[in-house]
Amino acid sequence: MALYLVKRLFAALIIMLLVVFFTFVIFFQLSPDPAASICGQTCTPERIEAIRYQLGLNEPFFTQFFTFLAAIFVGRDYGSGASAVHCNAPCIGYSFQTNQDVLQGIIDRLPVSVTIAVGAAVLWLLSGVAAGVISAVKEGTWWDKGAMMFALAGISLPNYFVALVLQYLLVVQLQWLPFPTVVPFTDSPVQWFQAYLMPWMVLALMYASMYARLTRTNVIDTLGENFMRTARAKGLGRGAVLIRHGLRPSLTPIVTLLGVDFATLLGGALITETVFGLNGVGRYAYDAIAVNDQPVIMGVTLVAAFAVIIANIVVDLLYRLLDPRVRVSSS
Amino acid sequence: MSAQSTETPVLSVRDLRIEFPLGVVVDGSSFDIARGQTMGLVGESGSGKSMTSLAIMGLLPKEAMTTGSVRFHGDELLHRSDASMRRTRGDQIAMIFQDPLSSLNPYYTVGFQIAEAYRAHKGGTKAAAMTKAAEAMDRVRIPDAVGRVRHYPHQFSGGMRQRVMIAMALVCEPDLIIADEPTTALDVTVQAQILDLLTEVQEMTQAAMLFITHDLAVVSHISDHVTVMRYGRTVEQGTAEQIFSNPRNDYTRALLAATPRLDDAVDLPEPILTNGGE
Amino acid sequence: MTASLSNQVEEFGRPDPGEDFSPGAGALKRILGKPSVILSLGFLVFIVLLAIFAPLITQLSGYSPYEFDEGAVDPALGGLPRGPLGGISADHWMGVEPQNGRDIFARIAYGARVSMLIGIGATAITMIIGVVMGVIAGFLGGFVDAAISRVMDFLMAFPALIFMIAILSALPQGNRPLLLVLVLSLFSWPATARVIRGQTLSLKNREFVEAAKTSGAGWVPLVFREVLPNLSGTIVVMATLAVPTFIATEAGLSFLGVGITPPDPSWGQMIASAVTWYSSDPMFFAIPGMFLFLTVLSFTVLGDNLQKIWAGGL
Repeated sequence: MALYLVKRLFAALIIMLLVVFFTFVIFFQLSPDPAASICGQTCTPERIEAIRYQLGLNEPFFTQFFTFLAAIFVGRDYGSGASAVHCNAPCIGYSFQTNQDVLQGIIDRLPVSVTIAVGAAVLWLLSGVAAGVISAVKEGTWWDKGAMMFALAGISLPNYFVALVLQYLLVVQLQWLPFPTVVPFTDSPVQWFQAYLMPWMVLALMYASMYARLTRTNVIDTLGENFMRTARAKGLGRGAVLIRHGLRPSLTPIVTLLGVDFATLLGGALITETVFGLNGVGRYAYDAIAVNDQPVIMGVTLVAAFAVIIANIVVDLLYRLLDPRVRVSSS
Repeated sequence: MSAQSTETPVLSVRDLRIEFPLGVVVDGSSFDIARGQTMGLVGESGSGKSMTSLAIMGLLPKEAMTTGSVRFHGDELLHRSDASMRRTRGDQIAMIFQDPLSSLNPYYTVGFQIAEAYRAHKGGTKAAAMTKAAEAMDRVRIPDAVGRVRHYPHQFSGGMRQRVMIAMALVCEPDLIIADEPTTALDVTVQAQILDLLTEVQEMTQAAMLFITHDLAVVSHISDHVTVMRYGRTVEQGTAEQIFSNPRNDYTRALLAATPRLDDAVDLPEPILTNGGE
Repeated sequence: MTASLSNQVEEFGRPDPGEDFSPGAGALKRILGKPSVILSLGFLVFIVLLAIFAPLITQLSGYSPYEFDEGAVDPALGGLPRGPLGGISADHWMGVEPQNGRDIFARIAYGARVSMLIGIGATAITMIIGVVMGVIAGFLGGFVDAAISRVMDFLMAFPALIFMIAILSALPQGNRPLLLVLVLSLFSWPATARVIRGQTLSLKNREFVEAAKTSGAGWVPLVFREVLPNLSGTIVVMATLAVPTFIATEAGLSFLGVGITPPDPSWGQMIASAVTWYSSDPMFFAIPGMFLFLTVLSFTVLGDNLQKIWAGGL
């Protein structure tokens, strides 16, 4: 097991390195001169040159790349002398437009994204998986057909559309909720809850629908397996048959999917955050894209990729734990 | 093979008829099985033999319409409530299925699955049930039963897995054992060992056994009586000696004359995973 | 013969009790009889026709998607369309956009073009690359498989949405639809390839492949004659379910402003423009939303039903 973990971590490291490299390449090639955009309106060629020097933009490509890599471990100084800016390790970039360490910017906004992700995940797991299991058990009944129609709608509706409609209904028309504004939980739990409720609902609708359909398929498949017949032939009660024998094979793939989906959300539910005006990591990226704040875009991309890679490893390990057939066991 | 007894047969099937919306699968099946006796139910795929066993267990799908009588120790089994059948299943009537790999839940240890059957009917603690499971595994000659109780199905070879299934069927000491093609998915060499095991088990417990198969060669080893089925109908019945030495029906004769493997590629044996196994 | 119903359900898993969908031409006919499928197909035919004949149709309806019709909006109301329901009239069948008075029907029709083009285009490329890579990786195994799998892992690790947004926003205008198709396909083919690879691997172990190999056939004809036909079901289902995903993603990207850029119409982009008006002119918001929803829904219904025929894939 330990050897496997080491191998996976090593592979993950390689992939991470490649992701950094390609992200760097693409931004290097694609972006219009960042110095110009930092400089702003009242710019002179001298100032642009100065900024370019500060950012090390005149260096050859690989030098810039390795500087960037090194910065992740030891931090980095931009420019020199009095106007020097220090970026602490791990440094994944510095935004001159917002005058902030990118990693710090992400960390500041992480709580919002995490709250959104966790809340939505709880909602969609409870509703989606439960609905899927019930649908599978009651296959063909009105409950099943109704639930699946609802789920179908859930995955077909664009989430920004749902978000806006929900906001329109609940905030503008019915005035049941105020416009979402994030306050710390300790300041006002009620307002905190009100701020997150709609993003949770929007995300949960989409994911719950997906998970309901998937769970239903898995459970139906499992119910048709031979070992279910054996369980019944042993004279086990209906509950034991379903829960003990039916759920574990069905839900194990769901767990692994959950890991990846959750990690993706941690990288910021970009559209949801933007529509509801919540200041999470996704919003950070979106705003940065709008003004072409390259370091931020790069930084968020890297952090998001990192989260997904780690999640894949965790999920892989989890799967080995849950499915005896995959385990490298000693007989 | 004991002499004919005059007591009530363990299982008594009369005019059993099973009908699905798509058609009739069993049309008028009748036979008795006494204590310590084995009835071989022979036929090709689709002859209705498996359906018969499911009817006895009460495991037919909802769409099935059953008429006739199936009496176990004199009590009618057909049309009983599921709750009532549950008490009987696994306890007094146990079933062994064809493919032990897919018939065991890969997520639980074999000990757990055997113990489960025991606890469901006899109660008791988990530990006690696990001990029973180990005992059952030992009785079916699985080496190092106590150690292997904690192993998972995929860690056993095909033959060993089938022994696990048999152990699971025996743990509550049933009066009737239904074996549905228990050797079909196994290697030929292993088949003989399993058949011997089943014979031994029956002699020990004096349980009645319904042995379902398409393979007449297998039937000759193990059955006292034979019922030959075709397209849901019984074409011939009698003692094993009668059927083998003096078959009266053309179909039976054809079955006897044909090579041992009558069926098509569908029933090819599964690849066996050996684990120091047989 | 006396195949029991439970056998059928066991084998193909998905048909509901009472639905009999064993594979074959009969199954296709039975699926086509379902009301949900008929409606979905009908709607999709409508959209496809709308997309193909958009220029013709807009000539009939009288307005191009770029034309401003100042007369249709009321400056006194801040640019709201005249008339009820966002300005629906005999003149403007679906109303007009606030402020600039562009004909919504024309924009919906041209937006359908965009959605279909990108949806089907991206699906085609994704499926081609995905199947080729998946079959090669699964069939050849060894180093080739390892190499391709690493590339897939790598691409799948990218946070696709962020990356796509970043790339698209950084690129110059150019041919947006083509760009979108390329970018979408780049990040989507690994998922397809993974599934195809898995199925190829199990197919590889089947007897008929062994038999064909021993008969001395090279692996190319083997792939085309034995492997691909068995994958066809999976490919069809995946493709049918991929189209709505791409349509939705394109709409999302356009909504964020990095997909199809104004003044070219796209349903997602129309929704974005409609955001500021969604309380005063909800029709402007609802119409593209409904079209998007119904299109995605129809494809998904089709994909689901096709999956009932080919649930096992093999």
